[in-house]
Order: sequence, then structure tokens, then C-alpha cells
Amino acid sequence: MEQLFILTLDASNFILAIVLVAMGLVIIFGLMNVINMAHGELFLLGAYTVVLVERAGGHFWFGLLLAPLVVGLVGLVVEELVVRHVYHRFLDTILATWGLSIAIKQAVVIAFGPASHTVTNPIATSIEIFGTPYPVYRLFIMAVALLVIAVTFWLFFRTAFGLAARGVIANRDMAACLGINTRRLDRATFAYGAALAGLAGAVMAPIMSVDPQMGLGFLIPAFLAILVGGAGHLAGPLLGAAAIGGTDTLAANLWSPVVAQIVVFTMAIVVIRLFPRGLAGRWFGR
Amino acid sequence: MTGRSPSPLLLINLAVWGVLALAPLGLGAWQVGQLAQYFTYGLFAMSLALVWGHCGLLCFGQAVFFGIGGYAMSLVTLGMIPGLEAAPSSYLGILFAVLLPAGFANLLGRFLFYGKGLQGAYFAIVTLAIAVVAERLAINWTYIGGLNGLMNVPPMTLGLLGGGAEIWDSMPVYYLTLTLVFAVYLLLEALTRSRYGIVLRAIRDNQERTGYFGYDTAGYKLTAFTIGAGVAGLAGAVFVTQFNFASPPLIGFTLSTEVLIWVALGGRTMLLAAFLGAILVRSMENVLSETLGNYWLLALGLLFVLSVVLFPRGLIGEIIHRLTAPRRGVVGRNAKPP
Repeated sequence: MEQLFILTLDASNFILAIVLVAMGLVIIFGLMNVINMAHGELFLLGAYTVVLVERAGGHFWFGLLLAPLVVGLVGLVVEELVVRHVYHRFLDTILATWGLSIAIKQAVVIAFGPASHTVTNPIATSIEIFGTPYPVYRLFIMAVALLVIAVTFWLFFRTAFGLAARGVIANRDMAACLGINTRRLDRATFAYGAALAGLAGAVMAPIMSVDPQMGLGFLIPAFLAILVGGAGHLAGPLLGAAAIGGTDTLAANLWSPVVAQIVVFTMAIVVIRLFPRGLAGRWFGR
Repeated sequence: MTGRSPSPLLLINLAVWGVLALAPLGLGAWQVGQLAQYFTYGLFAMSLALVWGHCGLLCFGQAVFFGIGGYAMSLVTLGMIPGLEAAPSSYLGILFAVLLPAGFANLLGRFLFYGKGLQGAYFAIVTLAIAVVAERLAINWTYIGGLNGLMNVPPMTLGLLGGGAEIWDSMPVYYLTLTLVFAVYLLLEALTRSRYGIVLRAIRDNQERTGYFGYDTAGYKLTAFTIGAGVAGLAGAVFVTQFNFASPPLIGFTLSTEVLIWVALGGRTMLLAAFLGAILVRSMENVLSETLGNYWLLALGLLFVLSVVLFPRGLIGEIIHRLTAPRRGVVGRNAKPP
């Protein structure tokens, strides 16, 4: 029983971490039809912001607050310099952002070296859950992820900005005709998505080794989560991450992490093939 | 092609292949060997140019086929295939190296293209995932050497059942590779210029419309994907005979994205441009990675972005296009990038 509980906790942890990364991705993809391959590197920049703040003598919490702002700003620049030029060429957005991801990753290698860094864990205590110690910081990450989900849903379903954004998702031309400044909306959305990636990187930094390769490890599960869940709906990444993260944790416990990865990927490919609009597309329609 | 004077494209082709045929005269043995290796990458790049540039399938896992080809060739020539230990023949290896990836691509394509079908970005992400899985599998499969891969893969041999003269010196390797690459280039060029090739590009530009014209778009994509995988497998087979090893990175994600960069920088819609793109990037890497160090990859990434944004035809493709495009007012054959 306790083991099952800890397993569920582990799974929720992984799921919410994926959601944290996938949320920004799905917002950018849903609104602008841009597959942002550089999202993993925005995540990376978030983590390195914290490293930089700590190196300068600042506290972790300050870094956590600063990371989304810094990475959001980077997102704004990237959108202006690169992404907006390829909006109308869908597949090229994948390539352009992939090139960016190589460049950003290499810039990080040049600035910080290829070795991994560690970030101090700000809440290094554990609490007993059913007699098993569980790190408090992991619970904190889950809380942050839930907060991000809540804020994002509030933003998109309860504000004027969200209404305009959903209007653009449904029909971009019509929204533009009705006087919505789609250009400004694109910019804001990309920056918001990037800021979420930065926040995710910063919040995950204490429990990961911060190195230039850390982005890719999260990018692919996040992508699969979106495709499995469905990119057309904000609930998509939640469902997809639950499917991906749940399967992964279960298979990793039953067999091994390698088998888990293969099982997850195979499952994702089959689901994507059978339900191209994702689980959310199948269940909620659009 | 007009009858009056040789077309600029033909002249460019003659110039490129002529220079490549004569290049060993002015190069040292080591450089000749290097160039022969770049040809292999170029062959690999052409396979992606067919699949992506002509058919519009942005494949992030082309190295899977390259790797399967490489491993197949290695297993056969090392005599590790049960029942075929006695015949470590290069011919048999090449046969396996072409048919296995092609067969795998065919099965995969049947699964991905038919029915509801997988579009653009989804195809890219799925192939990316397959590349990651394939690399993990190769690392954990001890029969094919696990993380270390297969060592001491023999060079090409002429004997029908293995043995016979080894093609080992840089000069014979160079001309063998060049001949092979040139032959495949001619075949693919003929394919893309045929009616079949026109339909492929029609699917790339507008799949729905082409479907309404009555073409079996899924079938066309399937054959192109299969042929591309076969060519990539062939490139993998040549690779292992040149480098004498096969290891998990051959089948993985990184090489898949590298070939994308070569093809994008060279020119995705022209086989020749893609081929030259691979050679260009590899030689630049060779020269610049020493002087620029870490900055080389940064520069390559930015150059790649710049090329995607500003020159969708690729850098070499753009030059060839400028040289061969009809003068103002007439829309050329390759006038519109995808």
C-alpha cells in the first residue's frame, strides 16, 4: 500500500514536471502553429539563470523569480528575430527553432563549460509519508506545476487576453478582421510560453544536474505528451503527460528505465497514429 | 532542356562530377580518404533530399535507416548472421543493408501514411522519437555490441562469397565510392525527373489537391520513403567499410539532425545541392572546428537558422538556382520553394 502510494507520488511528480514543460509548448503550438524545438534550451536557460544568480551570491528564490523574466525576454527576442519570419512556412519553424536550439546550447557550453553544475536545494528536508521519507522540495515542484496550470487556465479562459487568444486559435483571419492585434498576441504568447519553460528549468534545477544536455531529456517526453494528449486543447498536455508519465513510472518500476522509455515511445507512436488529434481531441472535440 | 545549347544545369553537373573525378590528382592520400568519407555522407544526404525535399516528409530519423544499413553490413561481413557465417560477402552485406532499412521503412510507412495519415509536424516528431528509441535499443542489444558497437568491420571485398581482393587503399576506395554515389545520383535524378517525381513534388506542395486528382498520395509517399531508406542504408553500409566500425550513434538522433542540417544548408530540393551540402559542411567542420573550437557549432547553428529563414532553397541550391533559372519573366522549373 505504502509502496503504491509512493509510486503514485513519483508518477505525479514526473507527470507534473512534463506538464510544466509541455504547457509552454502547447500554448505556442496551439496559437501560432509553431513547433518550438528550442523549448528545451529555454528550459536550460532557466536553470542556468539560477546557476548564475547563485554564483553572484544571490539566493535560489531570487533566481526562481528572475528565470521566467529572463527567459521570457529571450523568447521575445527569438520571436522577433527568427520565428515571425517563418510563421507561414510550417515545417520550417521546426528547422529554424532546431537551429536556435543548437546555437543556444553551444552558447551555454561556451559560457559555462560542458560540465554539469549543481544548484543548492532550498528545502533540503524530507517528510515522512507512510513511514517513507519523501523530499519536501518535490512536493514544492508539484505545487508550482499545479499553480502554473491554474494560472494558465485562468489566463486563457477568464481574461480578455485569453478570449482573444482562443479566437485566434479558432480562426486567425477572422480574429484579425474583428480587430484583434494578432501580431501583438503572437509576441505575448511566445514570450509567455518561453517564460513557462524558464520557470520549469529553474524549479527543476535543484533536483537535476544542470548541464547543456538537460533540455532534450524533457523536450521529447513533453512533445510526445502534447501529441498523445492533443495539441488543439489546453487539457491536451495534462492528459498526454498523465499517459506518458504514468506509463513511464510504472514500466520503470516493473522492468527498467530503458524498457520504460521504449514502451512509452512505442505507446505514444501508436496513440498518435490512431488518434491524430490526441486523446483530448477525441474526448472533448474542439 | 532545350536542344540548342547544353543547359546550365548540365554544365554544372559536368563541372562538379568532373572536378570530383580529377580531385585525387591534386590531393594527398589522406585527403582523398577524407573526401571518400564525405561522399558517403553526401549519399546519405541525397536520401533525405528525396524524402524531404521532393516528397515533403520532414524525417527526423533518417539515421535509423543509415544505422540499420551499417549494422546489417557489419553483421554480414563479420559473419555474425546465423546460417551465413560462411559467406561474409560484401555483396550480400550491401543487399541486406539496402533491403532491411527499406523493408522497415515500408512497414513503418504503411502504419503512418495510410488511414488517417500523419501530417507534417507529427511525422517529424514521431520519426524523432523512433530515432531516440532505436539508439536506446542499439545500446542495450548485446548481440550487436551494445554501447561499444561492432569493431573490426572489414573493408569491401571483391570475392563473391567474401574474401578476394580487399579495397583498402584510399585511391580505390575513392573511386569505388564516387562511382557508387554517381550511379545512385543518376538513378535518383532520373526518378525525380520522371512523372513519378512530379507527382511527389505535387504531394509536397499540396497533398489534398493531388489526392483529389486521383493520385494515391499515401502510396507515393510510401515508395519514396522506402527508396530513401534503402539509399540511406546503402550509405550506412559504405560508411562501415570505410570507418571499420558500427556503433549506436550511427542509428541515433544526433546523426539524424546532422543530416538535416547538411541537406537544409545545401539545398533540399536538389539532389546535387544536398550532396554538396554534406561535403561542404563536413569539410568546413574539419577546417573550422580546430580554429573556431566551441564557436564552430554556434556558428553552424546560426548559419542553419539564417539559411532556413532567408534561403529555403539552401545556400548551394540558391546558387545553382540563380545560375540555372531562366531569365526574368519566365517561371523556372524549381522557381517556387516548398
